[in-house]
Amino acid sequence: MSCVVESFDPATCSTKCTVGAAVLTLMLAFSGCGNRTAGTPRAEPWFVDATRQAGLTFTHFNGMSGDFLYPEIMPPGVALLDYDNDGDLDIFVIQGRMLGKRSVSDALFPPGDPAALRARLFRNDLAIDDRGTRTLRFTDVTETSRIDARGYGMGAATGDFNNDGCVDLYVTNLGANQLFRNNCDGTFTDVTKPSHTESPGWSVSAAFVDYDRDGWLDLFVGHYLNYSIEANIRCFGLAGGRDYCPPHVYKPQPSTLYRNNRDGTFTDVTAAAGMAAEFGPTLGVATADFNNDGWIDIYIANDGQPNQLWINQRDGRFTNTALFAGAALGAEGEAKSSMGVDAADFDNDGDDDLIITELTGQGVDLYVNNGSAVFEEQSARAGLRLPTLPFTGFGAAWLDVDNDGWLDVLMVNGAVTQNVEAVARHETFALQQRKQLFRNTGRGRFEEAAERGGAVLQQPEVSRGAAFGDIDNDGDIDVVVGNAGGPLRLLVNHVGQARHWVGLRLVGAETRRDMLGARVAVARADGSTLWRRARADGSYASANDPRVLAGLGDSATPPTIRVQWPDGRTEEWRGVAIDRYTTLEEGTGK
Amino acid sequence: MIARQVLAALLLAAIAGCGPSRPPRDPLHQVSLPDLARATDRVQAQLRAQYASLTEKRQTPATPPAELATAFGEMGRLFMAAEYRDAAEACLSNAQMLAPSDARWPYYLGHLHKARGDAVKSAAAFEQARALSPDDQATLVWLGNAYLDQGRPEAAEPLFTHALSRDPRSVAALFGLGRAALARSDYTQAAQQLERALSLDPRAAVLQYPLAMAYRGLGETDKADAHMRARGPGEIRPPDPLMLDLESLLESPVAYEVRGARALDERDWKRAAAFFRKGIELAPAEPSMHHKLGTALYMDGDAPAAAAEFEQALRLSPHFAKAHYSLGIMHGASGRTRPAIEHLTAAVRADPTYVEARLRLADVLRSSARTAAALSQYEQAAKLDPRLPDAPFGHAMALVDLRRYQEARDRLREGVSTFSDNLAFRHALIRLLAAAPDDRVRDGHEAMRMMQDLLAREPRRYDVDEMMAMTFAELGQFGEAMTWQRDAMAGAERAGLKDVARRMADTLSRYQRRQPCRTPWWDDDVNQR
Repeated sequence: MSCVVESFDPATCSTKCTVGAAVLTLMLAFSGCGNRTAGTPRAEPWFVDATRQAGLTFTHFNGMSGDFLYPEIMPPGVALLDYDNDGDLDIFVIQGRMLGKRSVSDALFPPGDPAALRARLFRNDLAIDDRGTRTLRFTDVTETSRIDARGYGMGAATGDFNNDGCVDLYVTNLGANQLFRNNCDGTFTDVTKPSHTESPGWSVSAAFVDYDRDGWLDLFVGHYLNYSIEANIRCFGLAGGRDYCPPHVYKPQPSTLYRNNRDGTFTDVTAAAGMAAEFGPTLGVATADFNNDGWIDIYIANDGQPNQLWINQRDGRFTNTALFAGAALGAEGEAKSSMGVDAADFDNDGDDDLIITELTGQGVDLYVNNGSAVFEEQSARAGLRLPTLPFTGFGAAWLDVDNDGWLDVLMVNGAVTQNVEAVARHETFALQQRKQLFRNTGRGRFEEAAERGGAVLQQPEVSRGAAFGDIDNDGDIDVVVGNAGGPLRLLVNHVGQARHWVGLRLVGAETRRDMLGARVAVARADGSTLWRRARADGSYASANDPRVLAGLGDSATPPTIRVQWPDGRTEEWRGVAIDRYTTLEEGTGK
Repeated sequence: MIARQVLAALLLAAIAGCGPSRPPRDPLHQVSLPDLARATDRVQAQLRAQYASLTEKRQTPATPPAELATAFGEMGRLFMAAEYRDAAEACLSNAQMLAPSDARWPYYLGHLHKARGDAVKSAAAFEQARALSPDDQATLVWLGNAYLDQGRPEAAEPLFTHALSRDPRSVAALFGLGRAALARSDYTQAAQQLERALSLDPRAAVLQYPLAMAYRGLGETDKADAHMRARGPGEIRPPDPLMLDLESLLESPVAYEVRGARALDERDWKRAAAFFRKGIELAPAEPSMHHKLGTALYMDGDAPAAAAEFEQALRLSPHFAKAHYSLGIMHGASGRTRPAIEHLTAAVRADPTYVEARLRLADVLRSSARTAAALSQYEQAAKLDPRLPDAPFGHAMALVDLRRYQEARDRLREGVSTFSDNLAFRHALIRLLAAAPDDRVRDGHEAMRMMQDLLAREPRRYDVDEMMAMTFAELGQFGEAMTWQRDAMAGAERAGLKDVARRMADTLSRYQRRQPCRTPWWDDDVNQR
């Protein structure tokens, strides 16, 4: 068990949790955790930049040559996956290269070692000593993993498509994508061609999802725009300077739904599923059972065109209900520039709601679900619209930062058109913006936790992908951020572990793979229930921790866990241990 | 911050009344010209000239505060138009300090902050402008919008109501009131206000979506459905002379291009052409500007001038796909098949993802009997954009031309399934099922099932009646076939299509001889093919 008092932050403690603070003070006396007392106000940041200490030396290269080629501003995505099944999350990050026929000598910022330009896999060598102190250390294992991804990378999706108990990796590119099968021995094999999942074009976000409930993960690949370097369009700012183009100068590219044939191959079923005739420039994908019918639906965030809510018809087909469901457009009926998306039950009413990041001046969308996949956009009412208007959001997720049982939201930002004044100051790639963390007050409103979030959130960067998960296994959600043309950033959460939590890995009966799409009801001692979901998708171009982590606040009572598996069956476990991870295997509950 | 600036300005103004004729310059924000190297020559010249004028006024001790304020304000407006927002803010703030009773400067500051996404500062600036000009429509509406952004519908509503009291036909104010009511989940009020707005401006398709949401909230799903289907893009803005003036300041190719595009949206072809011409004066070598001018001229009915601009675009950029496409369309429309094919082929070669060019190329190829080549283009267009029904439909019809009826039938079946609202696929499939020369393709029973479904979905027309006659004939029910065929002929006569009616008489004589139809389409079936 982690040292729960180590990062306890009385500054965040309301009157309601005074008792909890007293309990923690008593615990402190016995724990030998340190010399701090819970009553002493501290302003320790919630997130700390642990990139360098953890040995994560990676800088994204976007091949910028001064030609303002559109793809330069879109990556990189990041994935969190436990590829070696050692119980901690490893990190995969995509890489870029020069675009078209340009050579590295044309780059505005040439890479240190051009030969090393490829996506990277970092193994997590988390060490926990006898006192419970955690030391995060990552080792670059790209070579030994045999992951050879040298395309112009965009993002990644994770899932065990062949049910062998080892998580596989799908890499999206400008160009053909790549599917890497995990060989369960620390290595991967590129099975793109034999699996028929190349999906050429330009894709950014993808998601593994068992839409037909056959126990095998299918694959949705979101495609963005019809773009070629040869037909690159030149765009200018009003004053005449070159700038990146808006997406509407290009045509969108149709997305692809692949059905898993259970033999290592996939079949393109986009048309058969009824999804071919409606598509937009897709940047974000989130899968969840929005109408609570036990079948996974698919939500698509499109850039500048209406978003789509594909409701599963339970017969292999989907129907896009986004318009009538109120989840396609902004409150004024405008198609927005949707980038990142995540689905979760932020208001603890038993259904999954949506958060979507948008362009500067548009503000995020908060689509609140009434339980039957009918939504109301409430970003202004919830206090999210106003503070997000100045930012262009990309990666985002619902996460219970402080484990109080209410899902907060963190989004990483970065503009897509240049600030002419920054350019006038001779700044290159002048798109930097800070990140934002919003704390859920539990009363349908959010408040920005700018200062408490920590300096790392204030640092302006061109952030794109963000993967969310408990990287140090201490019971709270950490974040890895991919920055376009910038360094990978590891944000370690130092506040969540101060409260109680329950961590769950949900695995199948026949194969011990993460059961993406499983829903979890965490029945707490006070009679309330938290609904969470095992998922790797959401955010932007990234893959998240598939485990479920639910904050219990100050309650130390082991909760009852009810799991609704992707095939519709439900099981229950009572008295699940708190403040640690427990693996729940399908078929072993009641 | 702004409040403090206003206070400082008021204090300065008070001093000015009893001492020196103009306030000290110290509190003013520093203003300098940014590095303009990335701006066009003309924009640089504009900014430098304005800055020189400002500098001269600043260096002249006798410049009255109001005149200096105007100089700062004009500089700020130009910076704002050129998107130098930090410099614009400094200038406009100075203008506001020097002329605190002039509503223009806080008004522009409100828009400046809005452009940055800072709704709090934007609202504060618009509040200052409102204090100086309480009845200004634009200020009231933009301030109300800023409060809606803040999730404060109760603060927004009185502003929209005030705006409406000054102009009862203000669509922007009604739109604001409707959105404020929606934000409060008062669907009845929202529907009322938005219906009023829509009655005043029925073309404002952007009103339809919030109206649909209001009816959805009221549980009136049919109305919600109807409004949802009528939704469209657009923006509801109040009359805004100050911003219109600002938006016409900048003399850059892109600025003229934006103005021209807006005029095109407003279907004001002549104004659009004038803007594009000005853009060409500044950037004569920019092919896209010539292409846009050509488009405006063509829409205005001047095809030769349009063609000249498209040609000029190609002289400047021989692989400019859009110019090839436009010329291809123009030649095609005039029946000049060869140059049409050449230009459309060039467009596709220059941009292989240009789906419209592929489609038109396929159409022209098919109409010139190069059907096999057309097939390939249709196929690729369908792959590029599966949302477009024209590609699979054209592909199916090209297969019919090649007498590959089975494949055509299968393609049409796919189309019926994918584009269930598009009746063209159903019509074509019924014709094949009822009258294809290939015995393996015809299925009178399936055709009849589809006909019955079709008649429930659309009114009878001569071509629909003809399809029903074909179907009955295929099923051997020639009496019924003759009745429907006569109805079809009468319908064609009523529609003034005498040739069609005469041709139908030939088929009628077949039915009289108890012979089914084996010609699914005739050459005059342009609508169906």
